[in-house]
Amino acid sequence: MKDKRVYILGGYQTDFARNWSRENKHISAMMREAYLGSFGATEIDPGDIDAAFIGNFAGELYCMQGHLSAFFVDFDRRFVGLPTCRFETACASSAVAALSAMAYIQAGIYNLVCLVGVEQMKTVNAAKGGEFLGTAAWYEREAAGIEFSFPKLFGKLGDEYDRRYGLNDEYLARIAVINYNNARSNPNAQTRNWFMNFEHANTVGKYNTVIGGRIKVTDCSQVTDGAVCLYLASEEFAAKYAEQRHLALGRIPKILGWGHTTAPIEFARKITDSVENEYVLPVTRQAILDAYRRAGLSDCWELDTIETHDCFTTSEYMAIDHFGLTKPGESWKAIEQGVIEMGGKLPINPSGGLIGCGHPVGATGARQLLDAYKQVTGTAGDYQIPGVKKVGTLNIGGTATTNVCFIVGK
Amino acid sequence: MIDTMRNVVVLGSSGTIGSLIGGLIAQMGIKVYFLSRSLDRAKSGLERAISQARSEVINRNVVCGDYEHLLESVLKEADWVVECVTEDLAIKQKMYEKVDQYKRPDTIVSSTTSSLPLTELSRGRSEEFQRNFLSTHFFNPPGKMLACEIATHPGTDPKVLDRMKDFLERELRRVVIPVNDIAGFAGNRIAFLLFNQITALAEEHGVEMMDYLIGPYTGRLMPPLATLDLVGLDIHKAIMKSLYENTDDEMHASLILSDYINKMTESGCLGNKTPTKGGFYKRLESGESVFYDPATCDYVPAIKPHIAFVEKAKNLIHLGLYRESFEVIREARCKEADIVMDILCTYIAYSYSRIGEVTEQKLGIDGINKVMSFGFNWAAPSLIVGMLGGRKSVIQLLEERELEVSDFLKDGREEVWQIPSAGKYFVAR
Repeated sequence: MKDKRVYILGGYQTDFARNWSRENKHISAMMREAYLGSFGATEIDPGDIDAAFIGNFAGELYCMQGHLSAFFVDFDRRFVGLPTCRFETACASSAVAALSAMAYIQAGIYNLVCLVGVEQMKTVNAAKGGEFLGTAAWYEREAAGIEFSFPKLFGKLGDEYDRRYGLNDEYLARIAVINYNNARSNPNAQTRNWFMNFEHANTVGKYNTVIGGRIKVTDCSQVTDGAVCLYLASEEFAAKYAEQRHLALGRIPKILGWGHTTAPIEFARKITDSVENEYVLPVTRQAILDAYRRAGLSDCWELDTIETHDCFTTSEYMAIDHFGLTKPGESWKAIEQGVIEMGGKLPINPSGGLIGCGHPVGATGARQLLDAYKQVTGTAGDYQIPGVKKVGTLNIGGTATTNVCFIVGK
Repeated sequence: MIDTMRNVVVLGSSGTIGSLIGGLIAQMGIKVYFLSRSLDRAKSGLERAISQARSEVINRNVVCGDYEHLLESVLKEADWVVECVTEDLAIKQKMYEKVDQYKRPDTIVSSTTSSLPLTELSRGRSEEFQRNFLSTHFFNPPGKMLACEIATHPGTDPKVLDRMKDFLERELRRVVIPVNDIAGFAGNRIAFLLFNQITALAEEHGVEMMDYLIGPYTGRLMPPLATLDLVGLDIHKAIMKSLYENTDDEMHASLILSDYINKMTESGCLGNKTPTKGGFYKRLESGESVFYDPATCDYVPAIKPHIAFVEKAKNLIHLGLYRESFEVIREARCKEADIVMDILCTYIAYSYSRIGEVTEQKLGIDGINKVMSFGFNWAAPSLIVGMLGGRKSVIQLLEERELEVSDFLKDGREEVWQIPSAGKYFVAR
């Protein structure tokens, strides 16, 4: 890693509040906008791009369109002939695309890879979308014939915490509120103008119904449409890029460490496997530890902020102790003490996370990396945390089946 | 800059705009009194506010009541009184008389009018009232439309304006546009001129055809005549009357209402609020829409227009090729394309010519851009300038049509190309 650094040169996120189906637009229009925006944000010469990697979960289901990587060559005449590839690992699709881009760069094959994460989900109603999302679990065993299978599965994650350590759902409500509050400062967040307060998140009502088990509407990230485009570069390219812009190379964020693990796909098996472990999801914990080790970090307190995968409040509850903010089972303490809030000791999801910013599945990993870039370069605007040097990200696919953790910093 | 509001009184809280503004304020944890002619009416407004917030918990911040029993007592603790009563000078003046009598000296009073002059509204009121009086014009529905035009009269204390602007921006998350106290302010002045031109063109070309030609692909989320059905034709008529009587500019003749609109309002065809009678559109039980025919004053079946350049432009927008879609519109040579270009050029010409009249000159086109984008969901005038090839090219198009070319268009800065993020204003329908 030390010899083959991979840099992030910035990029662009579409407004996750938009409904591209209502705009009657093809999924490639979203990719095109993300690409054009990234071009404007970074002023990268399209002729310098060596390859384009696309992260997408289920274009075939939501849009009847696979082979999304091929659309990239439509965005500039110079792209015809460019190597492109699409990656799929459910909600971790674009994080895995980023890992693959890193591998190519570190192998010396490419100097500059354009990474696009994209998902268009509002093409179908909530029930149908829930069914499609079920394919990120073991569909036959965990999702077939079950309405909203994923909230139910992540409800079981909360149940397991409750069984092992005790869990007060008020802390889950507080996680939702923190993410919504953070999203209000993010101009691209889906929920930036939505109403939320603790009473609402903590109360079952006409508008905050139970979706499955202990999961209410406010515990869920919302499906949405969105795309993110960013650039990963070799040190050689980053140095040239920095020089052209009269920047010191040291000011450009790089990937300091990464972890990538896969757990058995079935949620019940994960729980059975971890019964003797103090961590509920040890395979997820391992991805984080691997990233710390590769980045040379001793613990989470060397990070300035975290962008984690809060597809449900229970998954953020899990992330808190798995990142090591508290001992296993004591995530509530970090919530209680304000550690994870803006201004806290280690804020989580300044962007609003998946609950506040939105969760276009295949775009989320790339969105986290772009937000990490923004925090490190001081360009996150109203959701900037002062003086950020290192950011941790955690992107999970399925029920924490595929786990990807990055440490991004200067 | 300032403390927040603790107690707010909404007058006219049973109406759509009153209840939804009240709801937004309650969402911020501020105590709001929903006042109406009766308790039941106020409660119906609260239901609407709850539906907007998608949460019942906001009712903890709301007290409902009627004017007779609650007005006097709540005015004594109000930091801000938002008046949303019927758009009628006499009714509003009568309400202000009561407010003036009971309110605290420093209570801010704002009207949500966009057509009645503030000087007239506050005539006869105390000096204290005048100092604390201004207009806060929200757009409907305020949960989705973030624009708020704010206007003052000569007696308004500048500190009150600053306080209100700060509150609207910080707490209610509004995009605040300072406007001059002139009928229609900026947004309605520009939008309703175009609406009226389109209703006039519908006499010759038909309702369905006009909404097809000036549809969402031209830079708006809703077709114009469908928008008027949502607004209500009675409201449209009242706004046109106010604009005609209280403004005077190079397009004054375009403010005259077509006769058939009068016939529609007289027969109760007001739009979405009269679903059985219809408006420009009428939805049949079968789910199909029929369209008002200005010639026969009856409804006619859909013709489902299909014009090559329109379909081509929509297909390009479908793929995110916005600039290319406008090249197609501009290059098309047919009478329908002329209509589309005439409307787009009028939009630009009229918007730029209103700088200094409806908004302060120093804002340039920015204020009008904001109100059209955040108040109507229309592509901003300067964005359309960019889509049609930039200032030089647009000036030529305007001159060809003998439209006024404002100095702000001639001498202003070249607009920054706002695509890609502005792509949301161009809908492939």
